[in-house]
Amino acid sequence: MLLALLLCYAGFTALCLSMPRHHDELLGHKPSARRARHLKLAGWLLLGASLWAAVAANGWSFGLVDWFAVLMGSALVLVLLMPYRPKLALLLAALSLLATPVAAWAQC
Amino acid sequence: MKEGFRQAMAWLHTWAGLLFGWLLFAIFLTGTLAYFKDEISHWMQPEIPAHAIDSAASLSLAQGYLQQHAADASRWVIDLPNARDPALSVRWQDAPAERGQRGRFTQKTLDAQTGAEIQPRDSRGGEFFYRFHFQLQMPYPWGRWLATIAAMVMFVALISGIITHKKIFKDFFTFRPRKGQRSWLDGHNAVGVLVLPFHLMITYSSLVIFMAMLMPASILASYGTDRDAFYQALFPETPIPERAGQASLLPALAPLLAKASEQWAGGHTARVSVINPGDANATVQLSRASSDRIAYEYGHDVTFNGVTGQLLGATPDKPLPMTVASGFYGLHLGHFAGPILRWLYFICGLAGTAMIGTGLVIWLGKRQLKHAKSGVMPFELRLVEVLNIASMAGLVLAVAVFFWSNRLLPLSLSGRAEWEVNGFFIAWGLSVLHALLRPGRKAWIEQLTVAAVLFIALPLLNALTTAHHLGVTLVQGDWALAGFDLTCFAAGLFLAWAAWKMQRAGLSVRVKKAPRTAPGPVTLEQRTH
Repeated sequence: MLLALLLCYAGFTALCLSMPRHHDELLGHKPSARRARHLKLAGWLLLGASLWAAVAANGWSFGLVDWFAVLMGSALVLVLLMPYRPKLALLLAALSLLATPVAAWAQC
Repeated sequence: MKEGFRQAMAWLHTWAGLLFGWLLFAIFLTGTLAYFKDEISHWMQPEIPAHAIDSAASLSLAQGYLQQHAADASRWVIDLPNARDPALSVRWQDAPAERGQRGRFTQKTLDAQTGAEIQPRDSRGGEFFYRFHFQLQMPYPWGRWLATIAAMVMFVALISGIITHKKIFKDFFTFRPRKGQRSWLDGHNAVGVLVLPFHLMITYSSLVIFMAMLMPASILASYGTDRDAFYQALFPETPIPERAGQASLLPALAPLLAKASEQWAGGHTARVSVINPGDANATVQLSRASSDRIAYEYGHDVTFNGVTGQLLGATPDKPLPMTVASGFYGLHLGHFAGPILRWLYFICGLAGTAMIGTGLVIWLGKRQLKHAKSGVMPFELRLVEVLNIASMAGLVLAVAVFFWSNRLLPLSLSGRAEWEVNGFFIAWGLSVLHALLRPGRKAWIEQLTVAAVLFIALPLLNALTTAHHLGVTLVQGDWALAGFDLTCFAAGLFLAWAAWKMQRAGLSVRVKKAPRTAPGPVTLEQRTH
């Protein structure tokens, strides 16, 4: 479940950054169209990977429930963190990505 | 045309949400607490010690106890301890004095490791929240009906809310605090959209749970008024042999656990029932733990001959439509959830509660703005304000009082469990009175402050009245008890923060308004919260 959570959080952060308004809020400038496209793609890929991670860890029935739970939980954390601690929100996303290989190794 | 439709939906969302909002807030909050039903019960009956789970050993102890104390009973029921509920509970039914009568049930709680009888304090524990969540403390079946109607309104409010919300994806990550009314709407949308899968699942499944009550037409058409026939077809039972009247020694029950587990591909037993113990025709029924699978099924049993241990029957697998229905049932209850998933369920439940609460605040805030200048609040707005305060701050306060009465009421008080519940409702009733008597913002601040103090002090009260305080539970690793204390403390901090925010918002209103109008106390109360 940890791996799915990390991937979900990173994925949502990427999707959030792909929107010019939030990119501006968090990083101080609007993204180029190409950058926004890449972020969007990366976000969806990360969310897809988190679904795979949840199902691989716990089977289809439990895995799907787990995935929905981390999906909602991570989005809630990101949205509530952004206005109050924007730096922390980004830092967590970076840490999530960094910790992904470790979590993947622990899960396999 | 499209805008007209959206406006119609907005109207529906506004009024359906308002009329049932207060009730739905209570249903959601108690339902959220019910996800930790066993943990709350554990805290409220700290006399029952938690041990490492050993089902076979506990079953042997229970069997020994029952053979000693209830050898002549017509039925034994043993509820085995599990990771969340440490109690080893035994019940037995006396053989009826006359044929056709029902024998009396006696219940005892045993220590799962020593088999010694425990006298836990009389308390309804988390069961109270669980029952209130769908019965609303009303006589059967009115509470269920009201809760189900509320669920239907919730479903309507969700769907109409989705249609009303124009920019679900564009505003997906948007939350702008410190902007008054705008922030409340952002918050309402954020907890609504981000946790939407949970909202839809929980609301739809609540209708599925009560579908036999809600939409009985197909049952009536096929079974007429013979409801029992319907339930027998739905939940076929293995026939239980009649009492032989010959005494026979009941062999050890514990080995049956492994046999049942084989039947369930490694599943666990939650309950062992022995029908006619000590008789030559004794029958043993093992019921599967609902935490094994997502789908929740009533009565998933294997039945053995008590004397020979021969398998008599097992509940067959259900057809697909029933599996879908019990899947929704199970998703709603979340019995299968481990600690992390359970916390996520809890957080989602809180998000749902917050969605309803913010909706109620928005309704009032919008309309109060119109009357801010005149300084006179119409009766209906004042009514909504009072109900908002009592249904939110008052309910939270009542929950705190419920926990406090569990620790403060004398253990020997007769009807103690009922008095805990009375404490809850008395506190809730007083919060209505208080909200009536005090101006809106003051009532909010005062009730939130009292609730905050009660929750923050709860771990301290626990330490003063029992030996199961944080210093002990953290060291022992009893996470249910420690988690309860810590969660109450955190909840108290949150409530204190909310009270402080509300106080500050009131002050900033006064400062901002000062140059333009004379800031009388009445004017202040007309501002949004």
